[in-house]
Amino acid sequence: MALDNLSSSLRETFRKITGSSYIDKNVIKEMIRDIQRALLKADVNVKLTLDLSRKIEERSENEKPPAGMTPQDYILKIVYEELLAILGKSSNLKIQPQTIMLVGLYGQGKTTTAGKLARFFIKKGLSTGFVACDVHRPAAFEQLRTLSEQTGAKFFGIKGEKNPVKIFNQSIEELKDIQVKIVDTSGRDSLDSDLLDEITKLKKAVNPDEVLLVIDATVGQQAGPQAKSLMDATGLTGVIITKMDGTGKAGGALSAVAQTGVPVYMIGTGEHLEDFEIFSPKKFLGRLLGMGDPEALLDVA
Amino acid sequence: MSLKEKLGNLFRGNKDEIELSRFRDEYFEILLESDVSLETVEYILDMFQQKHVKQKRLKRTEAIESLKEILLEILLKAKPSVDLLNINRKPLVIMFIGINGTGKTTTIARLSYMLKNKGKSVVVAASDTFRAGAIEQIRYHGDELGIRVISQTMGSDPSAIAFDAIEHARARNLDFVLIDTAGRMQTNKNLMDEMKKIKRVAKPDMTFLTVDAMAASDAIEQATTFLKDIKFDGIVVNKLDTDARGGAIFSIAHMFKEPIYFLGVGQKMEELIPYDPQFIIKKIFG
Ligand SMILES: Nc1nc2c(ncn2[C@@H]2O[C@H](COP(=O)(O)OP(=O)(O)OP(=O)(O)O)[C@@H](O)[C@H]2O)c(=O)[nH]1
Ligand SMILES: Nc1nc2c(ncn2[C@@H]2O[C@H](COP(=O)(O)OP(=O)(O)OP(=O)(O)O)[C@@H](O)[C@H]2O)c(=O)[nH]1
Ligand SMILES: [Mg+2]
Ligand SMILES: [Mg+2]
Repeated sequence: MALDNLSSSLRETFRKITGSSYIDKNVIKEMIRDIQRALLKADVNVKLTLDLSRKIEERSENEKPPAGMTPQDYILKIVYEELLAILGKSSNLKIQPQTIMLVGLYGQGKTTTAGKLARFFIKKGLSTGFVACDVHRPAAFEQLRTLSEQTGAKFFGIKGEKNPVKIFNQSIEELKDIQVKIVDTSGRDSLDSDLLDEITKLKKAVNPDEVLLVIDATVGQQAGPQAKSLMDATGLTGVIITKMDGTGKAGGALSAVAQTGVPVYMIGTGEHLEDFEIFSPKKFLGRLLGMGDPEALLDVA
Repeated sequence: MSLKEKLGNLFRGNKDEIELSRFRDEYFEILLESDVSLETVEYILDMFQQKHVKQKRLKRTEAIESLKEILLEILLKAKPSVDLLNINRKPLVIMFIGINGTGKTTTIARLSYMLKNKGKSVVVAASDTFRAGAIEQIRYHGDELGIRVISQTMGSDPSAIAFDAIEHARARNLDFVLIDTAGRMQTNKNLMDEMKKIKRVAKPDMTFLTVDAMAASDAIEQATTFLKDIKFDGIVVNKLDTDARGGAIFSIAHMFKEPIYFLGVGQKMEELIPYDPQFIIKKIFG
């Protein structure tokens, strides 16, 4: 399904069209069509898919596969390299005192990720605290407080307070000895201008070191535009992709990354606090392309 | 840009007839970008082709009209044949299942509100005993709405809570029992087994799957396979208000054989509406 068998399907296309081992224009066209279908099925943004396939087509026509590499593997390698270019340089969270603000659409995993980040930093020996700035979702306060009990992070929130800026300002004194502060915020979307306005103000007040977009691996074509509006409102610095334990290929999340140009730091791989991993572009693309370890397969080390 | 705006912009100012193939190409991209899944787009375009098989060229108005018909037809197939309010069973037990964060708990709150307004009595089972704050979340809604929520502490057995809620409803002759469950991924075997156990114990009359309108077509497709061995009877599509493009509903209607009962169009209590194909078509085509 989806990209699962991209590489075998490409080989099949190749075999169908020509028995010989050189690539002609028609073969490339046919392969590009397969690649497009596969990317679209994995919910990679349409424009991005078209851009990619243009680049792939250009390169396939102009470049020669190195000796010993079959043309179809070479095309796959190009696909891989172009996708890798989108993911940019991989970058990690800094293990140092800082303030992190989490933003994103409804129900993507922001609050759960706050818990995971706390566990991550506490294990690295940094004292960590939460500021409960989701003033909209029922029991967001209790959810974060429970996570503070589970992780040992310090908790600050004002129950019933509807102004997140006020909550943050009061947290400053309370959390002054805490090294890593994690600010949880409400879910919001680009159509809700009041909520976008709210997050812009909160961002100004918090002046965070990192503004992380929390995005779910199952989100579709909307991921790109939604990420862009949050980028405009808050100036994102990084992305965390959640729910990678499901079957979503995260093509939408990839499009969000392409749209914002910021690095992916971490991925969520389950409901539990320990289900949290450092992002590996290689593994991510392996999954998107249904190829296991693409670098080993393509010998591109 | 919404589906509506895109279709409106299509070949604007061009009053003459346009080749059928150009419509096909344009529709292909517009529909995909609106989150209609590839399979569904291909189905729509095949239908479109069939309708105009004898024509080479087509007027814009004619093309849009026939697209509208095809889309409406897809949506109509997902219309439920039973009216939840008129099922002769007391209590009617409905269990809600779905992937994490798709709106189960919010749907239960909004549905309780709707039922209460129609004079029905409701009890809710807080059978998500896993997620931090889940019990407080559903209890908050219960308090606001004046609806009884049966709950225990975090970590306790979800089936037992569902069972208690049903007993509670029987003893008091209530109309509805709504069972909230923890979000889960099809890949998590333990949680899937737990869900089956709740179903075995509670024997719900109906099981509703919640789906997020922003979810990718691939995710929706996978959900259908994951639910192969968990039978469900109906679907609630949530977060339609966040969907500027509004295409996902067509894939859901096309890919699931189960009917869509409700649409979530916001987080407020009155923002759950009965599924209405005409309403969706109107929203898109004006
Ligand atoms: N399977 C899985 N579930 C996750 C992951 N991350 C979060 N979740 C679940 O997703 C659901 C939503 O998570 P929340 O943390 O409440 O999401 P949120 O973005 O804070 O939601 P709002 O505050 O309502 O916008 C919960 O059921 C979490 O347990 C993950 O990596 N894998
Ligand atoms: N805008 C909008 N938000 C919604 C809608 N339905 C649910 N939400 C929001 O989505 C988030 C998740 O909703 P929940 O009802 O907690 O989802 P859930 O499926 O119970 O989540 P888990 O129990 O964690 O799996 C919350 O922030 C809700 O307010 C909707 O129709 N529109
Ligand atoms: Mg939250
Ligand atoms: Mg819930």
